[in-house]
Amino acid sequence: MRTVVAGATSPATAGAAGNANGEWPAEGRRIHSCVAKGSSMKPLIEVNQISFSYGQGPSQSVAAFTDVSLRVYPGEYVAVIGQNGSGKSTLAKHLNGILTPTRGDVWVAGMNTKDASCKQQIRRCVGMVFQSPDNQLVATIVEDDVAFGLENLGVPPGEMQERIDEALEAVGMSEYRHRPPHFLSGGQKQRVAIAGILAMRPDCLVLDEATSMLDSFGRAEILAVVRRLNQQGMAIVTITHHMSEVAEADRVLVMHEGRVALEGTPRELFAHPDQLEALGLDVPEASRVAQQVHARIPAFRRDAISVEEVVAEVDRLAGSGGERRHG
Amino acid sequence: MAGDFELTRNITIGQYLPTGSVIHRMDPRLKLLAAALWILSISLCHTYLGNVAGLCVCLALFALARIPLSYGLSGLKPAIPFILILAILQLLFYGNGYGPSGQVYFHWGILRITSASVRVVVVSTLRFVEIIFAVSVLTLSTSITELTHGVEGLLRPLGRMKVPVHAFALIVTIAVRFVPTFAMEMEKMMKAQASRGAEFGTGSWWNIARRTRDVFPLIIPLFNTALVRAEELALAMEARGYVPGQARTAYRRYRAGGRDIVMFLAGMALSAALVFAPFPF
Repeated sequence: MRTVVAGATSPATAGAAGNANGEWPAEGRRIHSCVAKGSSMKPLIEVNQISFSYGQGPSQSVAAFTDVSLRVYPGEYVAVIGQNGSGKSTLAKHLNGILTPTRGDVWVAGMNTKDASCKQQIRRCVGMVFQSPDNQLVATIVEDDVAFGLENLGVPPGEMQERIDEALEAVGMSEYRHRPPHFLSGGQKQRVAIAGILAMRPDCLVLDEATSMLDSFGRAEILAVVRRLNQQGMAIVTITHHMSEVAEADRVLVMHEGRVALEGTPRELFAHPDQLEALGLDVPEASRVAQQVHARIPAFRRDAISVEEVVAEVDRLAGSGGERRHG
Repeated sequence: MAGDFELTRNITIGQYLPTGSVIHRMDPRLKLLAAALWILSISLCHTYLGNVAGLCVCLALFALARIPLSYGLSGLKPAIPFILILAILQLLFYGNGYGPSGQVYFHWGILRITSASVRVVVVSTLRFVEIIFAVSVLTLSTSITELTHGVEGLLRPLGRMKVPVHAFALIVTIAVRFVPTFAMEMEKMMKAQASRGAEFGTGSWWNIARRTRDVFPLIIPLFNTALVRAEELALAMEARGYVPGQARTAYRRYRAGGRDIVMFLAGMALSAALVFAPFPF
């Protein structure tokens, strides 16, 4: 599934290399402190200290974010969270070159997003699913919509069928292939949108608040699909303001007023609810429950972050008391 | 009143009725071409008998497509006022200018009814009905998707002359795709306005000014959301590698089989017969 661009000049050696904690090494020294999975891997997406401002001219431009750095490694699950206006959505649009930074560079598999000749290749490599399920489907029939990206890439018609089948299967929408999109629910439409991206066989899927307009069922559907894709090796970058979605990620970036305010694993972040609160964010329910129970029963782990972990913890403590239920 | 809000239910664009008949399964390109030829020959046929024969063929098409005739009649209904007005005007004034020949049945002031004007009235009314039936069979037996693919396939030779055929087909597809979306949006806005006391559909049908004014509070928000949607759609298309004007491949390919060609030839023969056959009157 994954293609490595042969002979690509590594941005890590070509550009200024910084670590992902937002500390910048002195010239000549290179530190890779945050390499999630295998330190020898090249990052799939490397965002090097970029700034972006809307509008022309220095007098009237509005900075969306400044000095943001981010690396996404193959197979990684990264969440970017922040309040409205924190610049997270604008950042997402930089990951496949829809926007290019005012300052700094974004490298995707060794290609600079400013290089117009690589645009098509970058779009194939990093797929993006947007917020509104209605505003990203172009065709009147589901399978035609999935084919849209393939037609753009110039995939030979003989090969399309197989790719479309595979993509629809991956999101569990095969049986709806001949339906018009307006008969589908929001979650189903969003799954079709994901299938449209998957058919292009990207290495990374960027979800730009893809669940924010869905009901809780639709959101659960999308999260399940995304989780499965990640387990199959697809890198995921999810932009969200739902803390419960963040818990699934390997690594979280918290954006605040156009800067990366915090970065770490979900467990590290949720351990400091006061810090998050200062940034206008909340820890997920499960984490809050764990912390409050911990305050009363010190034996209870305070760093449980998901419902499953809380249940397991209750089970563990109840089990040590000798009272176990068997189901 | 409640019915006025149910816009999505009344959308007739792409009123596809899948019955799986031979007409349904015909290659959309050839079907379109045959329909165009047939309509052309109806427009050229000016005999009574020819038009009656044409009407019979149209009725046979409904049977062949296994579509109940009631669908064709419901397509006819909104056209009846136009047909009537046209018929009356032609009946009263046609004889004056263009049909001085023939027998004069009635003459009073500027009104003159002649045998020629009666012929024009009957023939044009029949033509209207035939064309509406033919178009109904076409749209009832062809999904809007097939229709756009068919048009694109027929126009493809123009692509060599740098006519943006594919872009055109994409525009049509997107327009069709968003009709239900906008209808739903309009429904939502009507309900929102009505819940704050706006009145829709209470004006009499003849009070056109009132009914037009009723729509104003919907038009501007609808335009606004349309522009927002357009912008987001453009971004999503770009993210999926769409570059305007670049060469693309096509997922859907139609290959006309033997049966399609036979049916097309039959359609051509009928069309030719309608124009060239010596109908006695």
